[in-house]
Amino acid sequence: MPYLGGEETVRELRRALSNPNVQSDPLRYRNTILKVIRTMSQGVDVSGLFSEMVKACATVDVVQKKLVYVFLCSYATLNPELSLLVINSLRKDCQDPNPMVRSLALRNMTNLRLPSLVEYVEQPLTAGLRDRAACVRRVAVLGWAKLHNLQPSSEIDAVVVNELYSLLRDPDPVVMVNCLRALEEILKEEGGVAINKPITHHLLNRLKECDIWGQCEVLRVLQRYRPQSEDELFDILSLLDSFLVSPHPPVMAATLSLFLSVSSSLPAVSLAALERVSGPLLAACGSGSREMRFAAVCHIQLLLRSVPGLLGVHYKRFFCGYAEPAYIKERKMQVLVELVNDENVAMILDELKGYCTDVNTDTAQAAISAIGRIGRSYSDRCLQILTGLLGLKQDHITSAVVQTMRDLVWVCPQCSDTVCLALEGCEETLQDIQGRQALLWLLGVYGERISSAPYTLEVLIDGVRSEASLGIKMELLTATMRLFLCRPAETQDMLGRLLHYCIEETTDMCMRDQALLYYRLLHCGIEETRKVLQGRRSDPSLGVLIGRPTKPVSQWARCFNTLEPLSQGAVEAESASRGNSSTDGLASSITAPLSLSLSPAVSPEDFEHLWLQRQALHTERECVRCPAVLHCSPQSLQAAMQLVNIQTLAFTPQHTLPWRVYLYTHTLSEDGQEEEEGIKVTLNQQPRDDDALRQFLTVLTTVLNTLSSEKD
Amino acid sequence: MNHSQGFLKDIQISCLVVGWLLSNTASIILSFRVWGGQSMTDSAPSWFFYSAEMIHSLFLINHLGDIFLEKHWKSVISRSVCDYFFEAREKAVDPENVPPVLQTPHHYLISIYRGKLFFLSVIQTEVPPLFVIEFLHRVADTFQDYFGECSESVISDNLVIVYELLEEMLDNGFPLATESNVLKEMIRPPNILRSVVNTLTGGSNVGETLPQGQLSNIPWRRAGVKYANNEAYFDVTEEIDAIVDKSGTTVSAEIQGVIEACVKLSGMPDLTMSFMNPRLLDDVSFHPCVRFRRWESERVLSFIPPDGNFTLMTYHISSQNLVAIPVYVKQSINFFEAGSCGRLDITIGPKQTMGKTVEDLKVTIHMPKAVLNANLTATQGNYTYDCTTKMLVWDIGKLNPQKLPNLRGSLSMQTGVPNPEENPSLNIDLKIQQLAISGLKVSRLDMYGEKYKPFKGVKYVTKAGKFQVRT
Repeated sequence: MPYLGGEETVRELRRALSNPNVQSDPLRYRNTILKVIRTMSQGVDVSGLFSEMVKACATVDVVQKKLVYVFLCSYATLNPELSLLVINSLRKDCQDPNPMVRSLALRNMTNLRLPSLVEYVEQPLTAGLRDRAACVRRVAVLGWAKLHNLQPSSEIDAVVVNELYSLLRDPDPVVMVNCLRALEEILKEEGGVAINKPITHHLLNRLKECDIWGQCEVLRVLQRYRPQSEDELFDILSLLDSFLVSPHPPVMAATLSLFLSVSSSLPAVSLAALERVSGPLLAACGSGSREMRFAAVCHIQLLLRSVPGLLGVHYKRFFCGYAEPAYIKERKMQVLVELVNDENVAMILDELKGYCTDVNTDTAQAAISAIGRIGRSYSDRCLQILTGLLGLKQDHITSAVVQTMRDLVWVCPQCSDTVCLALEGCEETLQDIQGRQALLWLLGVYGERISSAPYTLEVLIDGVRSEASLGIKMELLTATMRLFLCRPAETQDMLGRLLHYCIEETTDMCMRDQALLYYRLLHCGIEETRKVLQGRRSDPSLGVLIGRPTKPVSQWARCFNTLEPLSQGAVEAESASRGNSSTDGLASSITAPLSLSLSPAVSPEDFEHLWLQRQALHTERECVRCPAVLHCSPQSLQAAMQLVNIQTLAFTPQHTLPWRVYLYTHTLSEDGQEEEEGIKVTLNQQPRDDDALRQFLTVLTTVLNTLSSEKD
Repeated sequence: MNHSQGFLKDIQISCLVVGWLLSNTASIILSFRVWGGQSMTDSAPSWFFYSAEMIHSLFLINHLGDIFLEKHWKSVISRSVCDYFFEAREKAVDPENVPPVLQTPHHYLISIYRGKLFFLSVIQTEVPPLFVIEFLHRVADTFQDYFGECSESVISDNLVIVYELLEEMLDNGFPLATESNVLKEMIRPPNILRSVVNTLTGGSNVGETLPQGQLSNIPWRRAGVKYANNEAYFDVTEEIDAIVDKSGTTVSAEIQGVIEACVKLSGMPDLTMSFMNPRLLDDVSFHPCVRFRRWESERVLSFIPPDGNFTLMTYHISSQNLVAIPVYVKQSINFFEAGSCGRLDITIGPKQTMGKTVEDLKVTIHMPKAVLNANLTATQGNYTYDCTTKMLVWDIGKLNPQKLPNLRGSLSMQTGVPNPEENPSLNIDLKIQQLAISGLKVSRLDMYGEKYKPFKGVKYVTKAGKFQVRT
């Protein structure tokens, strides 16, 4: 945005620069040049002064030279012919006895970035590579990379490339790192600098001398190296160990990246490295810079995908500070959700509850949905908090709560009773579209349990003509249809009115088609309609109710220490994929005298119902000896259990404490108990039958033992 | 199976298996670990690598959204690239809430926010974000170091030095010289006397000779240092970051410590500093001069110091039971349902001060928007209430354990506005001289390698960092 009157300023400056009186006084001359630079940095186009500035370049004053170079480098591309004049004085400076002047001249010569000047620059650059002073060599090495950038198509002389390779062994560490950077750019076509065994070992040995920027660079380039033997691999890892716990987050992250890439075929090593790096990463989360904290928290989210329980004890580190920016708070809450376990759930929920009333509405809504996520494993406590929030009657909070409840009942249908009770009356506070849509969905699905449902809908149907949002109208239609199926007497009339409106009056095609579909469906009879509209409410095949399966490190290792985890969409949607590791031969090894059966299937909500009901009656606590089962994955346990007709209903993430799995089965005969350390089994049985219990435990132990022996 | 179904008694067993894993508390292990053991399989995935391009351009933007400085290390990128940033800045309302990484069709914009300024870097390819963020902070630190503060006016006043620094710190987008000692030898920091002399004589701020540090064996120390008075002073400063909840229990507490040194010793001194209780320190970060191996084996700091001022080490004590909370706060802030007023009553008393006096005590409360004015009486110190920023500041000064300071009175509120849902939290500032709250103590400081006897001194001070009491 050029200032008004910019031309006036330029004219004035030109007059001053060409004034012989100013030129003869070095101080005034320099101050005038300074004024030019200042105007330039304000965004005024001062390129018209180019020829005057070129003249100012011929001086012994280093400061004046630097100032002029700043100007020339910004405008050289606009005046290629005039720039030719500068080259001579620059080449002369390259012969100067002062190494500072030499490096300055060399750097600016390459910064002009004019293809026409390449032939003049090559000779001083070659000389620069052999200069006595390290600071000149540093500049010269990078200069070649800049030249190559100017003409990416032209081949760089093989002699130069060889010289650069030999400079990798330069005594100055910065020259070495710059060489690496230059070669990476020059040889981009060939895939970068050749990383073979001698170069790798040389770089590794010099790593300690470099500054942190250099270390990051070397570590990044070394990711391409593949150790030839296992011993070599572990030698490298041992050498890098101290960098893994470096107090500088960039170095630590680069080292971990290298660790993960070289040990990609050894998952155990990767996991050990993650454990070791958790300390420094946590420290980065408490760093003074908020941007650094943000980046660290984002990377911790990556780690948690593979080792969910890793930071469980450190959950307090992820509590949000009062003045922290919203983007950090949001990420920290996502981490807190991952870290929930039996011990800390109360503390975390208390903390999250505090965030729900945050001034920033985004933060408040994020906190509410975080509580909803935790609600999948600890529904009672969370619902209590959510219901309490409804009492505040704030529209953004109510909206977020209703949406969260909708998501929660889809996964945990057993919560529906509490949700239905809580919904009464909140339609008055709801303002935004998403919140009202969520409410309509809930009214439709659980209409028979919410006494005021038809009346709420009636108000909306009466006002449907003034409703602007299509989404709400569609939702309203579906909700009214569903409600009609369970409470026909109260709803019939309003459904008729709504259908009439949708079919006859509305102009929206989508809406009309939907209404016509429902209308014709009703013609087919009420049973048909019920079949279509009241199908499965939630997915009973949700094998993993609590948490999600851990992912192998290799899945995300590649995007560690890149910008990817920091971007908004990085929080991936939950996948309910269930990996089935093969447990062949298991079935044959078990001959259970007890016959177990899986049918009739028990849905998660029935299970929870039965579980709570029976816990009240009698609970057996057993301990089965089988420590090694803890090391096998939940998936293989599930698969193994299925072979003996025990259905795994849900389990907690692999590393949480205590680890739990919920199982069920039906049996023909009966059973007792067994005591040992290692695993605690709580059994609920109906009707009580000691014999069946004993046999069941035998089966369970056999499976667990088989699994652990397989592991060995 | 079919007929067995018929005999199936309704016996259902549901069971819960609870596994007790050995809890392995993660902590920072400083010991050296040898990696080895597992066998290797053949399948190695192919990895894709990005080219090594780094920071392309830097824009400095003030909090009003004006670009007041730009620097390009490669080709010139038009200012219009910042429009994406301004868009995000608009959306975030508060400048603090602007996300640090923005993606535009052709560039990534990585920014940091320091001292009401945005340092916005433009990057063309995928880069390690931690690297760029750390570098931008290093740039800001350098400005702070040179000019005493990092603000728009100071940067515009010292434009020449800023350009020179940026030129030296980065070449072709790669970090070059970032060590403050090295930079200061190439480009001298401004001071009033020299700038007067420069104006009179036409001298410059540029060192005429090559920095010695780059040629000596020890990169952080120049050769041939000479002083008439040889002295070494160390400041141990600890900041308490804590969140205390309504009932007075500590939600989280940690100590950020730093040892700053001012060493003016001739020749090549080799110093050894030992602590009374080095086990306290588990999460430490040193100046590159410290020999890490000796710290690992003997828990002493052995180093050849840089010349002048530098940060010897920073540390972080996070286990809550080691963090003493120096003051307690009794508070009640109420907003009445019906009327247009509120009541406020705050008392502060000493808690764990190890017998030292708490000084410079100050309480800052960010009031809800509805509070129009405050009518309070303080038994000690003064209070001010700024109606535009809604900040209530109570400056207490020294804490007298015999007569606890108290602030009470009424708050007048805007009528017709719903009561604030959230009570404001109190931020506390304080200072305790001659005490490191973690209990860290330097036991001795020895010098080897030189003959003279230096003056030595260690000073301790504890401050409140982000010390917050919830209401």
